[in-house]
Amino acid sequence: MKGVFSAPGDYIHFKSQVPLHKIPIGTKQWRYYDFGPKAVPPLICLPGTAGTADVYYKQIMSLSMKGYRVISVDIPRVWNHTEWIQVFEKFLDAIDVHHIHLYGTSLGGFLAQLFALHRPRRVRSLVLSNTFLETRSFSAAMPWAPIASWTPSFLLKRYVLTGIRDGPHEPFIADSVDFVVSQVETLSREDLASRLSLTTADASVGPLLLSDSAITIMDVCHLILNLFTSCAFLKDQLSERYPEARRAYLKTGGDFPFLSRPDEVNLHLQLHLRRVGVEARPDLVHNIPKDGLGGSSGKEKNGDDTDKSRKDGEGTSGNPSTEREIPHSPESTGSNNLDNQPLESEECCHLNHQVALYVFPSGLTKEKHFVPTETRVHFMWEYAVLFYLLRYISSLYIIDNYSLEFRQVM
Amino acid sequence: MPSRRRTLLKVIILGDSGVGKTSLMNQYVNKKFSNQYKATIGADFLTKEVQFEDRLFTLQIWDTAGQERFQSLGVAFYRGADCCVLVYDVNSMKSFENLNNWRDEFLIQACLLNLRLRWQASPSDPENFPFVVIGNKIDIDGGNSRVVSEKKARAWCASKGNIPYFETSAKECVNVEEAFQCIAKDALKSGEEEELYLPDTIDVGNSSQQRSTGCEC
Repeated sequence: MKGVFSAPGDYIHFKSQVPLHKIPIGTKQWRYYDFGPKAVPPLICLPGTAGTADVYYKQIMSLSMKGYRVISVDIPRVWNHTEWIQVFEKFLDAIDVHHIHLYGTSLGGFLAQLFALHRPRRVRSLVLSNTFLETRSFSAAMPWAPIASWTPSFLLKRYVLTGIRDGPHEPFIADSVDFVVSQVETLSREDLASRLSLTTADASVGPLLLSDSAITIMDVCHLILNLFTSCAFLKDQLSERYPEARRAYLKTGGDFPFLSRPDEVNLHLQLHLRRVGVEARPDLVHNIPKDGLGGSSGKEKNGDDTDKSRKDGEGTSGNPSTEREIPHSPESTGSNNLDNQPLESEECCHLNHQVALYVFPSGLTKEKHFVPTETRVHFMWEYAVLFYLLRYISSLYIIDNYSLEFRQVM
Repeated sequence: MPSRRRTLLKVIILGDSGVGKTSLMNQYVNKKFSNQYKATIGADFLTKEVQFEDRLFTLQIWDTAGQERFQSLGVAFYRGADCCVLVYDVNSMKSFENLNNWRDEFLIQACLLNLRLRWQASPSDPENFPFVVIGNKIDIDGGNSRVVSEKKARAWCASKGNIPYFETSAKECVNVEEAFQCIAKDALKSGEEEELYLPDTIDVGNSSQQRSTGCEC
């Protein structure tokens, strides 16, 4: 893993071009990107446990340019599967979308299947990647799941990150891992806890009304399967459940092929959409304003994408309000090397929410993070909770030991 | 947790429009043939499980658009190919003459993808990359309308490094199975020779970390 993560050039370009929408629906805050011609039925991307709406930025950029509408969402803080179905349906109503095509990876794939099971009229097709049919094996692997909502965020992050395989990777796979790790860092304790709860809460996907021919299973062949993809047994279960589903195998790509092999994933997504009858409208791409390619309906309020940490339930990395002023040039996929960009002498410094953002006119942004006082207090509080939690567990152990000795004496 | 590896063999079918690429693929995978012509738009693929030397493989066969105006999906699917099948119509001299262009196009594009995307397993040695040539539609008019002789086709294959050659009829299912068995065998050989990815190496001379770019062509 690299010591310092610098955002890829194409991601910086993406942030400057695509608005992040934030809308409150009921008690839930939704963060999502909606890009591409409104006339086209959307492909909705659902990330996994470690993902955010941003992880599909390569799909959003590529497919929208080809005339498809792509919506990428952050899984909101929902704590059970019934709530997920209700909340997601409300979200679709709010953005005025009726028939959808779902692309889900890992946990996102499971949630996509659940939604297709309970709301069959709305889901026209599924693309499933590294996903599963039931949560039983995950709850067995995570006996401490019931106290996930009480667990400090650094422990949750550590747990999630240990699920991501590190080691000698191809450069592009290493870049994809780095990007996902950087996204995990933006997730709050509640975000992580709710996702782990969804992964471990007892549930399984029953037979779908959706025809197998409307399902594509996209998998990486040489993937060593683990908690955050799914074990071999679960993969076999998926294949057995949808025997006539289209199988789109990728040779390599690691845990996050949508980031490491975007051209191949995008190709398979295009083929899937074409097969299920989604007509791309490249003719409408030209009519879309540069600064916000076919956003959502006027119903919702677009929150300003400020550089607040997502600790408060919003926020994202980067500051598009600042970025939008900079003429960015798209870079080659996954290229993190910004060394070749000429730096102009003039630098303007912009301070926002305790983040010093140095903006170079050539399009290079650097961030210097200061730890705000409230964050320090937050960390101290977490450590205190952890300390007392450990003391409580050890005291239980001591009491248990004493009672055992007492019984033996008796 | 035990790791499971599925061996994927990726095959690309190239050739002029109307030579029977889609028909060959459908005949091999689905045992079906249709007389109705429908141009392939962009590309499409079918998968078939094949057994070879007591091992199971997934053959992913990519059917491509022969007409330039239908090549809307680019060449992303070229990457990671283990074998390339060049198809021509024995009743069309032009389709045979264009085999050169298709072969060169494939090697150029596959190598460009390697260099740009630092991917390890594609034609890093273009001269030895496995191709198979198929002369299709031998059934038409009982072979009387044929314009490309077998001798001429074999001579071209020999000049390009002894490329295996098959004459087929997708309609009558003649030699299709045999051709694809050879394709699978060549793809398997190519797949097993793929370089393994090695982590970043340190060049002591420059004392800087370098990443392998894979394709050296």
